[in-house]
Amino acid sequence: METGFVVVEKVRGKSSVTQSFSKYPLKLIIPNKVGSNKTDAVWIYSLTYGGGIVSGDIISCGLTVGDDCTTVFTTQSSTKVYKSVGFKCSEQNLEWRLSRHARVALIGSNALLVVVPDPVTCFSTARYSQKQVFRLASNSSVVIVDWITSGRHEIGESWDFKLYKSTNHIFLEDQPLFLDSVLLEDGSITNISERMQGYQVIAMVILLGPKLKEVQIQVKEHVKRMMYEQLYTPTLGCKKRKSFGQTKPDMIASCSAFGPKGIGVVVRISKNYNRSRCIGFRDLRLTKDGAPQGHHHITDVIPE
Amino acid sequence: MEHEMEVDERKESVASENHLFKWSEWQLLDSILPTGGFAHAFGLEAAIQARFISEPADFKTYLIHVLENTASLLLPFVYATTVSPNMNAWKECDKILEAMMTNETSRKASISQGSALLRMSASVFVEVPLFKIMRDTLLASGTVSVHHAPLFGLVCGLLGFDSGTSQRAYMFITMRDVISAATRLNLVGPLGASVLQHEIAHVAEGLVKKWMNRPMEEACQTYPLLDTIQGCHSYLFSRLFCS
Repeated sequence: METGFVVVEKVRGKSSVTQSFSKYPLKLIIPNKVGSNKTDAVWIYSLTYGGGIVSGDIISCGLTVGDDCTTVFTTQSSTKVYKSVGFKCSEQNLEWRLSRHARVALIGSNALLVVVPDPVTCFSTARYSQKQVFRLASNSSVVIVDWITSGRHEIGESWDFKLYKSTNHIFLEDQPLFLDSVLLEDGSITNISERMQGYQVIAMVILLGPKLKEVQIQVKEHVKRMMYEQLYTPTLGCKKRKSFGQTKPDMIASCSAFGPKGIGVVVRISKNYNRSRCIGFRDLRLTKDGAPQGHHHITDVIPE
Repeated sequence: MEHEMEVDERKESVASENHLFKWSEWQLLDSILPTGGFAHAFGLEAAIQARFISEPADFKTYLIHVLENTASLLLPFVYATTVSPNMNAWKECDKILEAMMTNETSRKASISQGSALLRMSASVFVEVPLFKIMRDTLLASGTVSVHHAPLFGLVCGLLGFDSGTSQRAYMFITMRDVISAATRLNLVGPLGASVLQHEIAHVAEGLVKKWMNRPMEEACQTYPLLDTIQGCHSYLFSRLFCS
């Protein structure tokens, strides 16, 4: 039983919500005035009652973005997952359809979907699993940000949860294009904290489709330049390397193309909180030249 | 009396077939088999340059993390093609893995090793004509990627290995290649490498037991940092390895 669904279609030339529904524990808010009135985009905010997902909550939501429409999906604040009671796991399942009609995925829709939630934060002993499925038509474009922080850092929680699983499946014309699943589970051979090597945030950003070509090029260049400065070629001889006392970079990121003709780009980022709480912040503006499609800010890396 | 002798003869012939498998198995696991594994470091080179690894203990931790990620992500593909060693099952696995290997560096490494393994199998294991057919029709066609893990499972399956052997073998060659890369990167000497390899054999066995025999739908990454760090390989100014 779905806890929410939204359908966005062009009505009188404007992206509009034609159907929407949400019920506990999900709340969807669709404000009318977000961003400039020159841009044609629907903004959907997902909220949870009480500000977080409680042990055993199961949220499933279906969204459809019609031809030529632009939709931004985000959250009001970070998704907090409270402690698990009795080994219960909370779940969020989101299914996105970009298509000409609500229930049938057809050819070429020219739609743009931007999914930019705040990060998930699992509290101590929490168990959480989320799955997002995106079904795209051949020239759909999508931006997806999926990220998690280590916990309530201020009180010393760092990767203290029991289970976190995030699955993102992208199908292009019903063919599997990008299938990613990350599982962080306590109690395996090594604990989660060890595997995170001191980083407090991990993020994945996906840029896919014809509308994002320029942004993809910019992002690739930016990441490359940033990492060139961070990576250090060791000098000959191990002894010399030890005496350098170099520490890991505060942030590492890498960019990979995927899909036929590299139509997609995925950026993986890991960041530390350093002592001065210095913010590593990158704004990507998506400005569609001449088209009233959208002008969005995308925060690539967490501001603390 | 005669019946007993017949049974004995049959047992002997089965035993000698099993013994024959062993020769193929050892050859498949031997590092001198020309499959190009020596060119890949599983992100180790990038990890060193990003200061993830500054002493031998760090390398041991890194190795264990890589092995666990290999087990969680790739063993399901080895398993699937070992138990169904046919073209259709293999093509399906290959297509799914192509979508799952989202990191460009490791994806290219997987394809390069898979293709090399196919070429080698077509020349060496001539008792299996399918390898030659696959090599001649598929390698240049571009319709399949020829990823390493599914092909490895297929080779094992067609050579008659059981799925436990093939999955353990895949973990073994991963461990072997990471350790070999570490010696060439001066992280550890050859003797130290052998000591370490034996030391963590029980960890590798534990990982195999945990992650073996799972369906592809359950394949996942358990060490997401590896994806990030391996993806940095192309940013390295100077490098020895391809991945």
